[in-house]
This record gives sequence, structure tokens and C-alpha cells, in this order.
Amino acid sequence: MSIAPSFVGADLGQQFRFWPRHNEALYKRLESKHAWLEQELHEGDGEPRVDIRDPLGNEMILNMGPQHPATHGVLRCVVQMDGELVERAVLDIGYLHRGIEKLAESKTYQEFMPYTDRMDYLSPYSNNVAWCLAVEKLAGIEVPERAQWIRTMMCELARISSHMLWLGVGLMDAGAVSVFLWTFQGREDIYKIFDEVAGARFTVSHSRIGGIASDLSPSSIAMLKDFVDRYPDVIQGWRDLLNRNRIWIDRNLDIGTITAEEAKELGLTGSNLRGSGVPYDVRRFEPYLKYDDVDFNIPIRTEGDCLARYHVRMEEMLESIKIIKQCLERLPEGKIRADDAKAAYPSKEEVYYSMEGMIHDFMYTDTGVTPPKGARAYHAIEAPKGELGFYLESDGTGRPSRVHINSPSFSNLQALEYMMEGESVADVVVLIGSVDPVMGEADK
Amino acid sequence: MRDDQKNVAQKTAAHREDESLKFYFTPVDPPGPDTDNPHAKSSTLVEDILATLEEEFGEDILEKRAYAGEHEAIVAKDRIVDICRFLKEEEGFDYLVDLAGVDRFTEEERFEVLYNLVNVERGKRVRLRIRVDEDDLSAPTLTGVFMGAGWNEREVYDMLGIRFDGHPDMRRMFMPEDFEYYPQRKEFPLLGVPGSLPLPPQTPEGELTMDPFAAAHGSKPRKSYDEPRSDFEQLG
Repeated sequence: MSIAPSFVGADLGQQFRFWPRHNEALYKRLESKHAWLEQELHEGDGEPRVDIRDPLGNEMILNMGPQHPATHGVLRCVVQMDGELVERAVLDIGYLHRGIEKLAESKTYQEFMPYTDRMDYLSPYSNNVAWCLAVEKLAGIEVPERAQWIRTMMCELARISSHMLWLGVGLMDAGAVSVFLWTFQGREDIYKIFDEVAGARFTVSHSRIGGIASDLSPSSIAMLKDFVDRYPDVIQGWRDLLNRNRIWIDRNLDIGTITAEEAKELGLTGSNLRGSGVPYDVRRFEPYLKYDDVDFNIPIRTEGDCLARYHVRMEEMLESIKIIKQCLERLPEGKIRADDAKAAYPSKEEVYYSMEGMIHDFMYTDTGVTPPKGARAYHAIEAPKGELGFYLESDGTGRPSRVHINSPSFSNLQALEYMMEGESVADVVVLIGSVDPVMGEADK
Repeated sequence: MRDDQKNVAQKTAAHREDESLKFYFTPVDPPGPDTDNPHAKSSTLVEDILATLEEEFGEDILEKRAYAGEHEAIVAKDRIVDICRFLKEEEGFDYLVDLAGVDRFTEEERFEVLYNLVNVERGKRVRLRIRVDEDDLSAPTLTGVFMGAGWNEREVYDMLGIRFDGHPDMRRMFMPEDFEYYPQRKEFPLLGVPGSLPLPPQTPEGELTMDPFAAAHGSKPRKSYDEPRSDFEQLG
């Protein structure tokens, strides 16, 4: 017979049969967090005779997750509550840890690319591009103009798609179900575009080192045009509805407030950082692809609460549409992959109809790019969740000797732990939605 | 045996001796300050900042390097906290973007820890690294300067086993505490160590699953309910 779970304070070692040391450490952390509070209460020789902090026994420890639908994946929040208020919170992540940094060390650079789809699985295209850019920087590979424009456009499409999911799910956390259906209609339209462009709806894997896999078809350009014509009004419609919605404003206003200094100190990134008034966006900070050639604004709010983050993301969606419009207008003709057998895959025509092409294809699959020994580079992009950076080191072979992923959700979750403290337990769910973590990326 | 056949046989035998088909890529160009890199950014050209650091800390800045338009410095392990505090307070690098560990495996001082700091106003990014010896797997914690370093340091500890002295919460980040290895180290096998991480029982009352591939190894999970006997069995 299994041991019936009891509340904390019992013998922790006996309570958990599964990973006992892990859970024990977690609860110890919850007890010792902000330990100075008790130190002031405990006078002189240590142990108090009654529990001064909680004489009436109001406190309760609640485990939210890892399998709770509102935690957006497998996030485990252990919160200590006094009544309805969260006194302390400890987040436990790693339930989706797949060791992709380790996996990357055993794969060629091109082979690893599909794995990046599964990191931030709400915007696979951005991850593909981030990985390819990092490898291109490491090996010094130049990318043709047309490929850069297409990548820029698709990254922005991925941003819209990710923000749409954040909006729908975030509102569902707050109790509104209908917006979820509307934003998923929008995501469906984006899936259709990705399907036409890349041949896959979800895990696209369309980017290649040195360019992209296939060119845009006329019908995909038509679909993109249709999307950018229709969606500004649609998004504006959602904003009109929500900006004056009493419940939505009340659930978000002054919840999880973070000042600019705190945000930097905690390492927040992306829309969460800009919602606190720090003007940091990698698209401006170190422009990659075509971001210094297009005209767009970076929305910033200074309030730093959930509502500010909501406004930032809504405005970002409209700015992304603006970028896609410009990309469509200025899309040049030309090659879509670098014409260099050492840098990028040859085109399928070459592979099928020439001996050299076939050899190059084989060599590229077998060995691939070989950056010089001792090369190291860090390249970051502004993914929908924030700064997504890859730090790569090469030992001169076709496989990286070290891959480190600086994932935005990981940085954001750390700050979430501090944001939760002092809020009520009902707002925890709204807060998680507002920070917008993706566990596939945070857990690596 | 014909002469040409003998030749082939000998060659094959000689080949078997060293047992593996080796394939060398011979990439020999040493990485230099490669400024024609098409992806080089102006934000990482921070020679002046590294020069300031050298003025301030002298010999504690051990080495300066550059590749792909990225300037970085290797600094003394004991002074990293002072250097980061100096960068934060005097030079305005008040945003820690990234902190990572590297396993260099065959090199002299085996592990490295990287620090990636950003100055948002000036648009600069600087990378520092310290070296950690395998015999003394510890480094000073940066949590006193940047609170956000906490989780990253836990990640480095979890993956490589470098302890950070003075860290308020030195638990593992991704793996459970019950796991006894450091998986990002080069000697850790890619397929994992069997039995190192028990999985939940397959039935509510069952034992922990020690072998994650039990089904593949022929074990049938016990059912949590009793199946009714089939007609065939009842007939005897």
C-alpha cells in the first residue's frame, strides 16, 4: 500500500517515495527563504516557544503543478500561503529537461536544427533562425539577401503566432474562454502560411545554415499579403474589446509590479523587461538580419505590471505586421542559400543531376560546417519571449564542442518567483500567463 | 592467391589493426580577430572597456581574445566579483544576460564559467570568463552583485558540478537532488547511466521503476486491477 500523503511538517523523508531528497531540499528552501525575517523574531537562544509567525495556523503549502493546466506546461510552483496571500514561492523546473545542450554536442550543426523547433514550441521559426545565425557567425558564412528578408518576415510571423497564444491562454486563465477561440483562429491562419512556405504547420525546420530550405511560392506570398491586410483590424478589435473590459483590467492592474531596476537585477528579458521601461530589444541593440533596414517601433511601458506587459505585447503584434508588410514590398529576387558547398546545402537540382552536387550533399550531411578550432561566438535574437542566444564553441570538427542556450523563459521564470510573493493565490495564474514561459525552452 | 589479391588482403589486414576509419577535417586556420565576419556586431567591440579593466585590475586580467568581432577577457577567478561590481557600478554594465559553464575536458584548467554583461544605454556587450580547476571545483558567486545570477549558477552546478561559494540556494536546477552525476561533463555517457534516476511506479502500489526501458527488456507491468478469467480458463 502506498503511503498516504500528509501535510508538510511531517517526516519529509518518509513522505515521498519518489525522489525523496529532491522534495526535501525543495521544502527546506521554502522554509529558509527570507530567513532574516525569522531571525528577527527569534530572540537570543534560538527556538521560539510558540510559532510567532503563525500562531493561529493559517499557513498552508500548496503545490501547483507540474501537471496543472494553468501552469503552461510542467512548471511546479510550491507556494506558502497565509490565507489567500502568497508569502513565499519556490519554482521547481526541470520536468521537461531533455538535455538538448548535451545532444547538440553529438550532432552536426545542421542535424541539431530540428531540435530547436522543440525548444520554444510556440514559435519554432525564430529558434531555427537563431540557431542558424549563431552557426553562421561561428563559421563566418554570408547569407543571401533574399533569404535574410524571408527570415525576417517569418520570424515576425512567429512572434505574432506566439503572442496570439499568450493572449488566448492568458485570458482563459483569467476566465474568458471566447478570446482563446479567436486567437486560435488567427494561429490557424499562420499555420496555413507556414504549411505553404515550409511544408509543415508546426515544427517548420525551414531555415538552413547559409539560407533557407525553399523559396516562397506565389501562393504563399498571396497568403501573407492577405494576412497582413486582414489582421491589423482583427488585433485592433481584440484591443478595443479588452482595453475597456473591466474584469480584464482589474485582474491585471498593479499585479506583479516590477521596477526597471528590479527587472534588470533579476535578468528579466523580452516584453517583460520592456513592460518595466527598460529599452532593451536585441533587434535594436545589435541589429541582425534586416532589422536595421525596416521601419518599426519598439513598444515600451513604464508601469511594470501585468497590464503593461499586455499592452507591450499587443502593440508588438501590430509592429510585427508592419515589418512583414515592408518585407513583402522590398523582397528582392535572388538566391536563397549561399552558393558554397562548404557552407550550405546544394540545391536539389544540383544533387539530382550532377555528381559534384551529390558529393557535396553527402559531405554536408556527414560532416557539414567545420568552423576553425577554438572559434567561439555568441549570437542572440529577439525571440517572442525575449533574448534567445546561442553560445557556441568549436573544436574544428563538424560538431560543436559546447553549445549553451540562453533561453528567455529560463530568465523570466526566475523573476516570476519574486513577482509571486505578496500577491494573492488567484493572481498567481494570471502572473504565470503574463510572464509567458514555455517550459520546453526553460528546461532545455 | 594472385598478387593483386594479396595486396588487397594485406591492406585490409593493416587497416584492421588500427581498427577505425579515421576521417580528419584538418581545419587549421587559427581563429583571429575576424572582423570581416558578416555577422559581427559593433556592440561586442569592447576593446576600450577591456583596456579600462586592465588599468584598474592589472594582472588579474589574464588574457584578452577576440573572434568574430567579439572581444572577451579571461580574468582571475578570485577577482571576478570585484570586476563585475566595477563594471556594474562604474561602467554601467548593470544587466547580466547570461552565465554559462564550459567543459574543456583535456585542457589544463578544465572548466570555464562565462559571464555575459550588457550596458543597455551604451549598447555594449562584454564577455568575461574565469577558469576553474578540476581539483578545486568552486567559484565565487555573483548573486551579491546580480540577483539574476542565482538560477544560472545553479544550472552550472547541476550540469558541471562547479559549486558557487556563498550562493544562497545551491540546489540542482533541472535534475532532482537524488541524481548523483553531472550530465554535461564530457565523460558522462549520452545515453545516461541505467538506474541512476528511478521513475515512478507503474501501478499505484508497485515499486519504483529502476529500469526506464523495462518494457523493451521484456518486463510486463503489473496491472492495477484483476482481469476476469477468460472463458477458456473457466472451461479448464
